[in-house]
Amino acid sequence: MSDFDAIDSLLAAVGPEAELPVPHRRRELRERARLSKAQVARALGVSPSTVTGWEKDREPSGELRTKYAYLLDGLAAKLAAETGPETAPAAGPAAPSAGVPVADGFSAEPAEPAEPAEPAEPAEPAEPAEPAEPAAAEPAGSPQDGDGDEVEVLTAPEPCVLCGHPAGTRVAGFAQHLHPADCQTTAAAPPAQPAAPPAQPDTAHTSKPPARTPRTTRSPGRSKGPARRAFQEPSGPGDLIGQAVKAALAEHQGDVETATAALLKRAIPDAMRLLDETRKGARYDVIAHPWIPGILKKQTSRGADEIWEARPKWTRHELPPGRHEVTALDINGAYLSALKTHLPLGQLEHSTGLAHDRRRAGVHLITPPPWEHDAVLPNPIGQRDEPGPLWVTEPTLRLLLRLSGPKYGLCAPPQIHESYTSGATENLLEKFRIVLKDARDTAIEQGDEVTLEYVKAMYSKFVSTMGESNYNRELYRPDWMHIIRSQAFSNLWLKALRAHDEGLTVVRAMGTDELHVIGDWRSVFPEGRGVTEVKVKDTYTATSGTTEHMETEGEEE
Amino acid sequence: MPERNIDFGKFGARGIKGSDAVARKLDELAGGIATPVTTRRGLMARLHYLTKSARSRQAAKEAGLTVTDRTLKAWLEGKRRPSKANLARIDAAYRTVRRQNVARHLLKRLNRDGRGTRVEIHPLDQSQVPRQLQRVVEYRTMNVRRWDRIVGSWAAGDHQGLDAAWDDTIVDLGSQWGQYEYVTNIGFAA
Repeated sequence: MSDFDAIDSLLAAVGPEAELPVPHRRRELRERARLSKAQVARALGVSPSTVTGWEKDREPSGELRTKYAYLLDGLAAKLAAETGPETAPAAGPAAPSAGVPVADGFSAEPAEPAEPAEPAEPAEPAEPAEPAEPAAAEPAGSPQDGDGDEVEVLTAPEPCVLCGHPAGTRVAGFAQHLHPADCQTTAAAPPAQPAAPPAQPDTAHTSKPPARTPRTTRSPGRSKGPARRAFQEPSGPGDLIGQAVKAALAEHQGDVETATAALLKRAIPDAMRLLDETRKGARYDVIAHPWIPGILKKQTSRGADEIWEARPKWTRHELPPGRHEVTALDINGAYLSALKTHLPLGQLEHSTGLAHDRRRAGVHLITPPPWEHDAVLPNPIGQRDEPGPLWVTEPTLRLLLRLSGPKYGLCAPPQIHESYTSGATENLLEKFRIVLKDARDTAIEQGDEVTLEYVKAMYSKFVSTMGESNYNRELYRPDWMHIIRSQAFSNLWLKALRAHDEGLTVVRAMGTDELHVIGDWRSVFPEGRGVTEVKVKDTYTATSGTTEHMETEGEEE
Repeated sequence: MPERNIDFGKFGARGIKGSDAVARKLDELAGGIATPVTTRRGLMARLHYLTKSARSRQAAKEAGLTVTDRTLKAWLEGKRRPSKANLARIDAAYRTVRRQNVARHLLKRLNRDGRGTRVEIHPLDQSQVPRQLQRVVEYRTMNVRRWDRIVGSWAAGDHQGLDAAWDDTIVDLGSQWGQYEYVTNIGFAA
């Protein structure tokens, strides 16, 4: 039997594909609605990069396509409603009034004191007896009045849990009539009931946007419930950075140098304060002093711990024959971008012999795979002299796993022996990063050197002192420090790979942000000062065999 | 006291006394000479610290370094080396004097003019406990405003006093405070 059910459901699924607008229009709709890719992705149950793909060239299929079409339809209707306010209110209250025949003689539509000027909308022809003027006479405790967010309008009527008759709305997961009167009167007033089903399928299948507008058109007069607002003001810390800069400049009578020096001095506590502000109301706490395994502790006061950060330090052995113009590129704000990485939240827990778990992050003891492309690309684990197992951090391991995967196939998978991991999230420092990035972008745009230096000091010192430093005792996470640094190195490595794949010759990958290439790099990397762009550090000429600095042009910074 | 752990570790839970963790953290914050006393460098650094002034000599004497001035002089000049027992005494005296010297400053920083310091309490490790006996013990944080008793008994080397002071502090965690008598770590900054 179940086989046939499955076949039936398959057959039911076969049908014309939902229409989607052209890709750039999809993006425009989402952006005009001020929704982020992440929000859309979460609603649809896909990853943000998939949404990016849909907005570029890919086409969703199957059930996802239907959902996506529904979303875009809704957005289009919503935006149309915002631009032309006359159309939406007319379509708005129609659906609830269709599903909710009210027998108490007051009003069919939910009382909306926020929209008193709304024109009396054309009442449903099926219910001529109902007075359609928006009388604000609905009792305040009525469910359809108070929590418009909780009420779901059903596309197909379901039996009411209270009286068993079809009901067009669902509250807290249970299909039911919105007004107690309906439960009794539906039987008594049969003419009103048949009016509902024709209205419902109509709104459900042919034109979905009207079915959802009643919920959203209420939002202009919102301030009702905090839950599930479609368009939210971005919440976040106020302009802490701007205020600090302004205060410092005022204190030093506009003397840029002393103000900058003063700001640099307080960069670490300010960064911690900004971090606290950005974590307000967040899901996870920043755990600042967890138990730290021995491998993450410094062996002596000046020494290092056992973690290998995979810092690239690679120069190509042999250049292709001839003379070449080499460009030294500088990746902007490498550590700032690296704040987006998988950070372990809590205390690191030990495990042995387990495969890599994508939802956890930490440090791992691995035997790295042999690297055979050293002639053209740096080793992803950096310039390691000793063979044998080593402790690497999450970004390095993820990079190795990625490179060993079927898409790249550049090396064998690494062998994981031991791990210290904890549940991880990529979003822990995300708001923090975005605040700093925005401040940096604005400062660059306005040529504000003070803010620029201040922001730079904030993120770089934050990263370098979050471990066992005495300059920042509020955060004691050597694991994060190593992971963020490794992420920067891993990002640089991926840029090198990209350059190589696009046909450039990678000459050197060094430190956090230095990449030397031969060839037309402008077609690969955009030039500029933003974090996604690169900057020219230096250009020089090199011949095969020797690398010499012939001339130096390009801005030093 | 309710929920006192009587036979801690019987089912495989691992952890240390909360007060020990606090003392460890305070020691870490107090800092000091990292080189071990068994090396010449570490020994000399400690002896210099303990004989810098008449007050510090007196403090060292009170802390248990009851050797004559002549012996101290010989040690400082390198003519003699302290015996093993005396090395241990020097180390203990150094730690005690260091704590006493740092306590006042540390206390001020921890109390922060009455605003107190946020303390993270990381619960005991249950990974070795049989599955059915494991309990949900959450990570907790609390703000400790009054550190006087804690730092005072730590500086005096009074383990029982510190334990009592810490127990009185974590009572503020609520009815489950007994679960936090043993912990893996206690973290705070000063």
